[in-house]
Amino acid sequence: MHLFIEQLLNGIAMGSIYALVTLGLALVYGILRILHVAHAAIYTVGAYVGLAVFKFTGSLWLGFGGAMVFCSVLGVAIERLVYYPLLKYPPYVPLIGSIAVMLGIEELCRLVAGPYILTFPARLPFAAVHLGSVTISSTLMAVYAITALVLAVLWYITSRTEMGLAMRATSQDMAIADAMGINSHQVVSATFVLGSSIAAVAGVLVGIYYNQVYPTMGAVPAYKTLALIVVGGMGSVPGAVIASLLLGVAETLLIGYAQIPLPRDALAFIAMIAVLMWRSEGLLGSK
Amino acid sequence: MLLEVEDLHIAYGDIEAVSGVSFGLEQGELVSIIGANGAGKTSILNALMGVVGVKKGRIMFAGKEITRLPAFRRARSGMRIVPERARIFPRLTVHENLLVGAYGLRKKIDLDSRLKWLYGLFPILEKRLGQPASTMSGGEQQQLAIARALISSPGLLLVDEVSMGLMPKLVDGVFDLLYRLNREEGLTILLVEQNAVASLEISGRAYVLETGSLVHQGPADKLAQDPRIREVYLGH
Repeated sequence: MHLFIEQLLNGIAMGSIYALVTLGLALVYGILRILHVAHAAIYTVGAYVGLAVFKFTGSLWLGFGGAMVFCSVLGVAIERLVYYPLLKYPPYVPLIGSIAVMLGIEELCRLVAGPYILTFPARLPFAAVHLGSVTISSTLMAVYAITALVLAVLWYITSRTEMGLAMRATSQDMAIADAMGINSHQVVSATFVLGSSIAAVAGVLVGIYYNQVYPTMGAVPAYKTLALIVVGGMGSVPGAVIASLLLGVAETLLIGYAQIPLPRDALAFIAMIAVLMWRSEGLLGSK
Repeated sequence: MLLEVEDLHIAYGDIEAVSGVSFGLEQGELVSIIGANGAGKTSILNALMGVVGVKKGRIMFAGKEITRLPAFRRARSGMRIVPERARIFPRLTVHENLLVGAYGLRKKIDLDSRLKWLYGLFPILEKRLGQPASTMSGGEQQQLAIARALISSPGLLLVDEVSMGLMPKLVDGVFDLLYRLNREEGLTILLVEQNAVASLEISGRAYVLETGSLVHQGPADKLAQDPRIREVYLGH
């Protein structure tokens, strides 16, 4: 029982991190109908920038902030320079562009920071929590708290602000949103700022969680998050969060606890195939 | 002139949908463009709103050239559209749809009194406020689309095929409303319609569009008497 609860707690943390990366992908798909594979590269860059700022200033919060700002600029640059000119082509064209950007950024990280695994020697200033015989480590508490905060802020922006309303309107009918006085291009950029800064937070968190930052750390998330937005329902933000949490828990419980002899990373795809076969609109998607 | 269109050409790829159309609207007029399906009516309206591009020609609105302006700038200068088939935002609530219509204007207009006025015009909307717009019937969605355009107090209202898919009783209601908005509130309206009978009845002037060109124009009551138009568009 003890081990089960510990694995469950780890699974929720894993799922939280998946959720942070997948959110950006769901937001971008929702508004542009583009598979933003390069999002995972933004997450990698977030980890590197966070680490660099942390090493330079000694402040982890500045590390988070610096990573968020840098990744926002990077995300908007990709949107304006790569996606926007390609929007008039079929969706696989921006997808190919996105893959190219992803690989390019990976190589840039390798060139700038070297092909090594860097350590992220930061401590997250959260207190460990003891519940009976179970201890929730400070790192786990940090992952929970930061994810909860990000989700709360995102919920507030999308459902309680005029910008959020504009984002939802634009994702449903861009031309008509424009005809109602919404600068949809600006709304798209705001979406990239939001998604990319969340990816930056995820990058820094993962760097600290595993104490590792390396150029290809985005490779597995790149395809896993694609599977997750399919499972959640294309473009559905709540769906993406639920699918991510479920996957995190399923991975740790089925592979780690129940020791089912499958590669851990295969689960996301089994779930994706199952969804495509039996519920193609995803958990919370609309047909 | 509030709206002036000169030699407007609209093309989709190599196919020209509208070829050299010129017309205009004075402040306070209700003008309709009638024509058969595929004559290019919706293209003209979308080009005025900035939803489709213009190949050639010039559009002036309130004394300024807007031919190359993005749609949101035209909307902010007081132009609003009731699109063909309503195109309300399906997954937003009725209330949120109305708020999108007032986007960026919450400080400029008295939102509460505008909403109250709209609920007076369309009582059904007040009953459905919290409901996703997609759950409403076609006629209700059409009313929502009109309300969404009116909430901003537009200077020019573009109305695209509002009668399409509506029951005859609802069509009368909508046309009666447009007539009253024009006469009582002084709202300038450009109506684009297949339903020639109903639109000529409420319009001051009208144009007849055939395969991308304006072939007749004049006071609506004169056009309604014109035998050539009666034969083709009024069915007798």
